[in-house]
Amino acid sequence: MKSVQFSVASRLEGDAAIIYPKGYLNNLSGESLVIECGIYIGKGITKIVVNFSETDLINSIGISMLLQVIEDLKNIKGTICCTNMSKFLRDTFEMLGLMQHMLVFPVESDALNYLKTRKL
Amino acid sequence: MPFNAIPAEDFLNREPELNYLKGLPKLKENALGGDVFLEGARGMGKTELLKQLYRNLFWENNVVPFYYSFKTANLKGAYFAKDYFTRFVRQYISFVKKEPSIADNVAKPLQRLMPAISSLGLYWLIDYIEDFQEHVSKNDFYWQLVAAISAPVVASRKTRKPVIVMLDDFDAAARLYDASLGDAHGLISLFGESMGNRRCPHVITGSAGALESIFTDHSLIGMTEQMRLGPLPKDLAVALFRAHLTNLKIASAPGLQFEFLDILRGNPLYIRNIAKAAWKMQKKELNEKDLIECYSFEVSKGETAFYCSSVFSSYAKNPVKRKAMLKLLMYAFENGRIEDSKRLSMVSGLGEAETETILGTMENSGIIRDKDAVFQDFIRCLFMMEIEGRNANDAREKIEAKYKSEREESCFELVIPMNYNAELVVAKAVEQIGKNINLDSEFLNFLQLALIEVCINAIEHSGSYEKKVFLKFITKPDKLEIIIENSGRPFSLESLKEVPVEEKLRIGMKRGWGYKLFHKIMDSVKVERVNDRTRVILTKDIKVKEVLQ
Repeated sequence: MKSVQFSVASRLEGDAAIIYPKGYLNNLSGESLVIECGIYIGKGITKIVVNFSETDLINSIGISMLLQVIEDLKNIKGTICCTNMSKFLRDTFEMLGLMQHMLVFPVESDALNYLKTRKL
Repeated sequence: MPFNAIPAEDFLNREPELNYLKGLPKLKENALGGDVFLEGARGMGKTELLKQLYRNLFWENNVVPFYYSFKTANLKGAYFAKDYFTRFVRQYISFVKKEPSIADNVAKPLQRLMPAISSLGLYWLIDYIEDFQEHVSKNDFYWQLVAAISAPVVASRKTRKPVIVMLDDFDAAARLYDASLGDAHGLISLFGESMGNRRCPHVITGSAGALESIFTDHSLIGMTEQMRLGPLPKDLAVALFRAHLTNLKIASAPGLQFEFLDILRGNPLYIRNIAKAAWKMQKKELNEKDLIECYSFEVSKGETAFYCSSVFSSYAKNPVKRKAMLKLLMYAFENGRIEDSKRLSMVSGLGEAETETILGTMENSGIIRDKDAVFQDFIRCLFMMEIEGRNANDAREKIEAKYKSEREESCFELVIPMNYNAELVVAKAVEQIGKNINLDSEFLNFLQLALIEVCINAIEHSGSYEKKVFLKFITKPDKLEIIIENSGRPFSLESLKEVPVEEKLRIGMKRGWGYKLFHKIMDSVKVERVNDRTRVILTKDIKVKEVLQ
């Protein structure tokens, strides 16, 4: 477990937004994640890739925030892709039944390729 | 018997006390004191110290030693007087002739000693014996007692040699009686004259509280100093145990640290009994596990159990009181305290007044105050046998299992404030604890998540004014147990309902994952309410694959 202050970075690649949550994903950081995604959704972006490579720990509040993003995208018929997830994170999402509501890729480029080649 | 003391070289760490007691005649002659009350917990070696003193004085020849144990004495006055008198005469002749066998031969009547006394030219003693027998033939109870108790004083006066009088378990003398129990209070005060004599220092053992109520003459208490026999320090306790093992021809395993002996708190009696148990159990090379086995045997059915049983029986004489006392003691040991009798009468199954009486007896006995772990384990065994109906082997195994698992476990405690991100401190702690026992990092992530969820639950929902979460981590080779406690609103697993993700999305309810998480991660989740606190107990069995090899 690394002691990293939570932050959210993001960038736009083509028509997809890539979000980088970093550190412990809890209520405040989860809100930042929702806000960050909301900004892109507000701009008409419907494809969001969440790169979890720097997320070391998550709690149930953070998970509920992620569910909020899933719901927001679902409402606009958008797509959420999760990448670079640790086994722990994957298993946790699996445990909670979240996997069927997101697309999971090993790395960010796979998700971007998928979003480019597939007409969504 | 004064001569059945352990070898002097095995009598450790009591030299200062022994030397001080040997110097008592000089102190008393100069009116600087001279009577000593030996104090110490059960088994601390008070009787053994008296016996060592006796043996030293016997062979040094400057002071006459006299030892009398009230433990086994017949307290009917006439019997006692005869026994006390005869033992003194026998021990005195034994001392003069330097023949220990005379002192030990209790079957030899006084008449048969007369030729020996005569050959030693102790005519004053012959006169004194005749005087005593005259009191007996006249059935003069009072003078029999006075003559018996005064015998050491008379001997010191006639020979001008001090007599050290050693009275073991002296408080029993308070129960001396004439014809029936309790018919002659205060006979013990007849010892006052003897104790006040300048040539007869007295060394007595017994209960301090009892002695205060015995002597109406407070000047006697004033001139009696207390000498406390403390436990043997750890190194000497180990040395004594090793000496016993050597005598019994038992080796100890290479590198054995004897850590388990700490539980005996340097008590020489317990130390000796464990060594003897090892011999009885035919141990050839002792290791830590063997020590636990010997100990469990001792507290369940060994000599220690026998000894503790006699102590316990002296406080709980009838079966009803015995059972009630066992229940109360167990309650006190488990809870670390005795509460009000109103509540405890439910535990004892007796009325409030009777419970109060038993609690008073327990308080005076010092059983709880002493915090003697050995005696507590004996009581646990007795409870299992007499209340729960288990057999001695079963009780022994339970005690054994308790210590074997305790040796292998470690415990950490942590208190966190109900502050933002405080749960991360817990996550960090469990990470290090897990590393200490070589758990793999992925498994640790799940443990962290489970704990974070319980802590968040407490922080968010308890409404606690205390604003603290108390955590205890107990690690065992095959199990990790985490106990989380906080005050505030009760929390129950029954009140929680699992909602599927689809349903959560449909109804817009995104919270409520915590329960599902810690339930899925841990093997067992228990929630209890203890007074005003909610206690969550998380248990995880550690499988081989979860441990880094």
